[in-house]
Amino acid sequence: MKQSFYLAVKYLMFYKFRTLVLTISIGLILFLPLGLEKLISESESQMLERADATPLVIGAKGSSTDLVINTLYFEKNKIEPIHLGLIDTLNNMDLGYAIPMLSAFKARDFPIVGTDLDYFSFRNLSIATGRNLQLVGECVIGSEVANQLDLSVGDHLVSSPENFIDLAGVYPLKMNIVGVLGPANNPDDYAVFTDLKTNWIIMGLGHGHQDLQSINDPSLVLKKDSTKVTASAKVFMYNEINTKNLDDFHFHGTMSDYPISSALFIPKDVKSGIILRGRFESKELKEQIIVPSVVVENLLQTIFRIKKIFDMVFALVGLATLIIILLIVILTLRLRKDELFTMFTIGSSKYKTIEIIGFELLIILSLSLSIALVFYWITGFYIETFIRQFII
Amino acid sequence: MVFVLFSCAKPTEKKISIQNEKLKVLTVNYPLFYFAERIGGELIDLNYVIPDDVDPAFWSPDEAALSQYQKADIIFKNGADYAKWMNSVSLPSSRIINTASSFEKDLLKLNNTTSHNHGPEGEHEHDGKAFTVWLDLELALKQAEIIRAQLVKKIPGESALIDQNFEKLKQDLLSLHKELLDATKTYDNQVIIGSHPVYQYLSRAYNLSLKSVHFEPNEYPSVKQWENLNNLIKENESSIMLWEDEPSPQIQIELDKIGISSVVFKPCGNQPSEGDFLSIMHNNLNNIKN
Repeated sequence: MKQSFYLAVKYLMFYKFRTLVLTISIGLILFLPLGLEKLISESESQMLERADATPLVIGAKGSSTDLVINTLYFEKNKIEPIHLGLIDTLNNMDLGYAIPMLSAFKARDFPIVGTDLDYFSFRNLSIATGRNLQLVGECVIGSEVANQLDLSVGDHLVSSPENFIDLAGVYPLKMNIVGVLGPANNPDDYAVFTDLKTNWIIMGLGHGHQDLQSINDPSLVLKKDSTKVTASAKVFMYNEINTKNLDDFHFHGTMSDYPISSALFIPKDVKSGIILRGRFESKELKEQIIVPSVVVENLLQTIFRIKKIFDMVFALVGLATLIIILLIVILTLRLRKDELFTMFTIGSSKYKTIEIIGFELLIILSLSLSIALVFYWITGFYIETFIRQFII
Repeated sequence: MVFVLFSCAKPTEKKISIQNEKLKVLTVNYPLFYFAERIGGELIDLNYVIPDDVDPAFWSPDEAALSQYQKADIIFKNGADYAKWMNSVSLPSSRIINTASSFEKDLLKLNNTTSHNHGPEGEHEHDGKAFTVWLDLELALKQAEIIRAQLVKKIPGESALIDQNFEKLKQDLLSLHKELLDATKTYDNQVIIGSHPVYQYLSRAYNLSLKSVHFEPNEYPSVKQWENLNNLIKENESSIMLWEDEPSPQIQIELDKIGISSVVFKPCGNQPSEGDFLSIMHNNLNNIKN
């Protein structure tokens, strides 16, 4: 048997290219259904886990899927904003508490999520290094943001401007990184968290500039009297918030009118959740309220239907591969006719010949399986990418 | 449908229940602290983290104080743009209670504005609101009512005691309010000068005709400030000036020269070194009577 294994190895090594092609082909055929199964089942459990952990989402009327995806995955969908005042209305109902969410901007391709401190305790997010948010202009980054951008506490992250041409519009804000979250294996790892007010500053609803009462440059001040100063757009605006200029930052208008993308609502019990949903359904409140798990389950149903089609395709491809392998074996035997005859004439039995070919097939299958398992293991690292690219 | 109904809520006990620990309460100024102390008493873990040498309206908490606010179960804010530091820090919105929410429409706007033209919204103004709402004791009572309602909501088992404490405070505030109404009747036909623009609500509630300058009791005013005061006196024939604290002797000498007598009416925004909110307001009342 040892000799048969030795001869099989030697034969496969002699035909390296053919062995390699066969091994990779079979490996891929084995991997594809396994990998897809893993991607889909892991994506399903990750998505459902996040949806299940989020009792209710409230937002403007429109696509419930877009609303849930924006709120849970911070994808920049076009959803209508709601007003911050709704948070107070919800909190005053004594049915639980609401967490405001604002996800509209990005910093180096990672979403900037404006929220408040309740979000971190609600999601059980822990600060791995540094501290949590304290002042506007600060940000706490997810573990993957820190890894991929090689950032840590004390570094800065600049928000991406929406429009390079509109100089008087949304300003890029240089945010101070004060904390890095521990890995959570969910979209929070890929987010840049700020206070809501920091997001409003990026939006231009709040800003910091020179003290208008003390400047005398006529090109900066258009009009000035005892009660009113009118400044021009030339006034220098701060693009970073620090302890020196913190007091110069201010907001205009009523904060309760400021926009947020949505709100998470955590009812104090099941009954409170049902009462709140009733208030939205009875049009007492004009926004929509969503149970994220229901929306995500509907979304996954489509994926499952596609997966069934893929399963059928893989079964057919697998069958075709099996036939091809059989054909290759038969053709190989024909090509090796002289070699096998020589072996037979020098005293090798028929059984020995089958043993050698069996070992060859076994080695190829083992190598293929190893390749499939390596790919399967690597797939685990791409669950989040798969969710983002193909599901949401 | 049944699945949908019952899948909506994962009960979360966090923060909603008080468990065995006392409710951690913080306020942004002394009047609210006093009301919370009177209403909540021993039922709550009430802390005051504002240093005694600052005006809470313009103070900003340091890291340690901010950390206290971030950990609080309830933060009672004054509303009316008071404590602007709240706009520069991260606080959990579900735990901030605006004690002026029931009278937002009654808040007074400040005159001084800054207008500028930039950003997506074009020209806009920096306006502000007068914030010493508690100097109108009826508004102070409304603030106390919101504190009462919140404490009852958070500690429902102690609602009887909370209500009882609130009633006592209500009587004290209403009685003081009535006395102030009576005392200020003597000023019906006079213009009073406020040394600082903090008496807007006092003026409205107690029918005082008030004009303000911007003097500090312990800082000798500039020539321009004296000029402003003289102009005001000429225009209004006033002889009384309200002060947040006793003006320095130097200032008083100058005021005597122009026939102005000083009346101390402490807004009591910060914790007094002696007495409490009610005793300070009684002192203010006596100063007005005299």
